[in-house]
Formats: sequence, C-alpha cells, structure tokens
Amino acid sequence: MHPTSLLPLRQVAFLGQVVLSALSGFPARWRFRGQDFARVAADCSARAVPIVTVVNVLVGAILAFVGAVQLVKFGAGIYVADLVAIAVSREMAAIITAVVMAGRTGAAFAAELATMQTNEEVDALEVLGLNAVDFLVLPRVLALFAIMPLLFVYACVTGLLGGMVVAAGMLDLSPAAYMERSVDALTWTHLGLGLAKSIVFGAMVAITGCYFGLTARRDAAGVGVATTQAVVVSIVAVIVIDAVFAVCADALGI
Amino acid sequence: MAATLLDVQGLEIRYGDRLVQRGVSFGVERGTIFAVMGGSGCGKSSLLKCLIGLLEPAAGHVLYDGVDYWASDEAARNRLRAGFGMLFQSAALWSSMSLMENVCLPLELHTRLDAAQREHRAREVLGWVGLAEFAAYMPADLSGGMKKRAGLARAIAAEAPLLYLDEPSAGLDPVSSLRLDELIVSLRDRTGAAIVLVSHELPSLLAICDDGIFLDGDSHAPVARGAPRTLYEESSHPVVRAFLHREEPLTRPAPARARTERASSAVDEGPS
Repeated sequence: MHPTSLLPLRQVAFLGQVVLSALSGFPARWRFRGQDFARVAADCSARAVPIVTVVNVLVGAILAFVGAVQLVKFGAGIYVADLVAIAVSREMAAIITAVVMAGRTGAAFAAELATMQTNEEVDALEVLGLNAVDFLVLPRVLALFAIMPLLFVYACVTGLLGGMVVAAGMLDLSPAAYMERSVDALTWTHLGLGLAKSIVFGAMVAITGCYFGLTARRDAAGVGVATTQAVVVSIVAVIVIDAVFAVCADALGI
Repeated sequence: MAATLLDVQGLEIRYGDRLVQRGVSFGVERGTIFAVMGGSGCGKSSLLKCLIGLLEPAAGHVLYDGVDYWASDEAARNRLRAGFGMLFQSAALWSSMSLMENVCLPLELHTRLDAAQREHRAREVLGWVGLAEFAAYMPADLSGGMKKRAGLARAIAAEAPLLYLDEPSAGLDPVSSLRLDELIVSLRDRTGAAIVLVSHELPSLLAICDDGIFLDGDSHAPVARGAPRTLYEESSHPVVRAFLHREEPLTRPAPARARTERASSAVDEGPS
C-alpha cells in the first residue's frame, strides 16, 4: 500500500477502499486475475472442509451432550434436537466456522500479503499501475464472501449430525426421529440469521487478514506480527459482531 | 521528441521530519546508462522510489518527456508508468505466478498484444536472459541470479524506453555479475533504452555507466556529477574518493592468511 494513503482512521479507509473497489468495477472492470480468485476459493473451500467438519461435528455433539444431561431430568430428552438445531443454525455454525477460517484463511492472507510486502511484490504491482486493493485484496474478499455461506450450510449439516450421534447414543432416539424433530425446529428465520452472519464474518475475516498483511512491517518479524494480529482481531470481531446481531435480532423480535 | 527522457529538478526527499536528500537534479538521455551512487543509507533507493511513483517527494519535480509525474492525475500517471520498467533489488517476482505469467502481466497492461503475441514476446525476452526453458517455473524454484535475470526480463518485456535497475548485481557471484553487466549493455545497445542504475558494485559502475550522480548521506545532498570513470579518476571530493577507491587493490587490506605468509617469508628471508 502507498504510505501516503494510510489515513488516521486507516482501518475505515481500507474498508472503504475495498467496498469501492468491489462496487466501482462490478464485475467487468475488476482487475484481478481469475486464477487468483479460483486459487483462493479452492483453498478456503475444498481444503477447509476437513477441519470445518471435525470442529462442527464436535460442537453439535457437545451441545447435544450438555442438553441431554439437563433435559432428561425433565423428561424432555427429545428437545435435544431442537436445542442443537437452533443453536447450530442460529449461532454456532457461523461463529465456529468463522473462527476456523480466521485461524486458517485469514492468517494465510495476512502472511502471504505481508511476505509480498517484504519482497517488494506489492511495490512491483503499484509500479505497473495496479492497485493492491484491486489486484490482491478483492479476489480474497470475494472468495471468502462467496464461500462462507456454503461452508455455513455444510457446518449446519455436520453440526446436526454430531448432535444426532450423541442423541442416538445417550437417549436411544432413532436418527429418523431426531432429524424429523430438527427439521421442525429449524425455521428460515434461524437459517437466514446464521447465513447473514456467515457472509459478514467471511468478508470481515478476509478484509482483516488483508489489512494486516498489507500494512505489515517489512521484515520477518512483521510477517509474524501481522498474522497474529489478523487472527486475534478477527476472532474478537466475530464475537463482537455476533453480539451486535443478537441485540438487533432481539430488537426486531427475530 | 526531446533526447532527455527523465528530468529531475530540485528533488527533496523526506520521511516525515527526517531529511534524506535535497537539491537532487539531473537528466537522463536516451541510450545512456546513468549511475546513482552513494554509501548505504544515503537515499539511493528512496530516490528511485520517488522516480517510479512509490514515494511522493517533499519538493521538486520528476519529468518524463516533460510531463511532471507527481503533478499528474492517476490516469496520466498510468500512461507515464508504461514508459518505464523496474528491476527491484529483490527482483520482486510475483510468487504466485510462473515466470511466463510474471513477464506477461506488464505486457497485458501496457501493450496491445494479444495472448499469443504476449507469450511469444515473453519467451523472447526470457531467451535474452537465458531463461527460456524456465518459463513454466515458479520464482521459488529459481536461484538468486536467475530471479534477478527473470526480473530484468519482466522489466524489459514491454520495451519501455527507460529502465530502473536497483542493485542488479547485489548478491551475485562475480561471473553472474559480469554476465548481467553484459546483458545490460547489450540491452541498451539493442533497444536504445536509457538505464538508471543504482549499484554498489564498483567494477560495474566503472565499466558500463556513461553518467551519474553521487549522493552524500551526511550532507543529505548530491556532491558530484559525471561518469563514474571520470569521478574515479578526477574527483577530489573526499567522500567520492573514499567510495570509488575503496576497491583499489593497492589499498585493500590483505587477508589474514596472506599477511601471515608474508610475515613468515620475510622472517625466512631475513637471515640469508
């Protein structure tokens, strides 16, 4: 990034640059290479599936386990399916997937762009007249923006499966009964809220990773610091944004 | 069209309150190799950044064919950028692209060649620097010298009339360094391009440069103008002489082993 473009509110300025870059060129004048978008999209989708699966199955299982222990006391074991379905679709799938992507993809964005800064690769782009936001940031943000909703849906499914395994083991619920109950509990409101969060989280994780990468100090330590900052800020931001969503949803009666 | 491609007038470079250089003025004509000399940290690379649009000067003008780069809008700057190529000190090859893609990107942005023509041109310039068979390689798979040559290929691909080379020989062995010098001279002869060279390599400076400027880090100003060979032979400025004569074989300290051998032979010869 050009040093003179770093304003006092540079995080806000950077966000504005990304939004302008996305909107002003949409999509015919986007200046990044299709290969870059495809590479990033593949990396944050197919290659992220194993870890997203493991984490979300376990989160669904943990929710079911905690719910079962308490609900069985009241003879309401079947409501474990409701608990898991609502908690996963409304909160946990989006949050947990965003945290995983912050640690995995957001960190990778920060490290890659910080290394490019150190190696003068970003300068080489700017000398050609290519803006780093247009050429490097936008494909990453768009990739995560597009992939996160898909990962969210997948995370919901794996979370429900995790809950189903525990419910079947602890409560002798048949998988069919569990899934029937889950489908009844799931509403478009819960799913829509979770989906909206996942899109916001995806864009935020990508922008945060790119921001810290492009503003990193130009040495090896700078790469490490940028990566750490990207992960920490992204995770905190996920929680803060989720709280804002909760307040707004409550105010709207959703 | 004027012979002077680049005209630098009264440039002042600062990082915040810290003065780096001031009063930097020079012109670079077509077909010349112009040296920017000076000790480490005197502001050579910062000067280069001002010339290529990465660092805005505190004062002064950078004129390309009479057009002031820093007074121009972004569209005009983009047109001016098409007029120069740049080899960065680290080569700065884009690590996610193959050599072919690295060389093709400037062609895509600054020429009207179609994809097949771009690929043909990229193979041609990679051939000039001896890397034709490495077109599909990624930068991480190349040695330091090969990266430098690939960076040079990328800089010259669009046939820009002005090339900036930031320490092209740094980190290369003497043979590779000599080969790169030959490549730079043949490039100048073949294309008629003007070349601005930032370097510490005295043999290169003396051998290939036609003109130059010497920046002093203590006074924050240029202290000499002229061809490195002329400055080497005629300059009486102490900073210039210290820089240009540091490689003088007669004044270079002998290696420890040679000193020991000389001392022991003197002892041996003494009694006889």
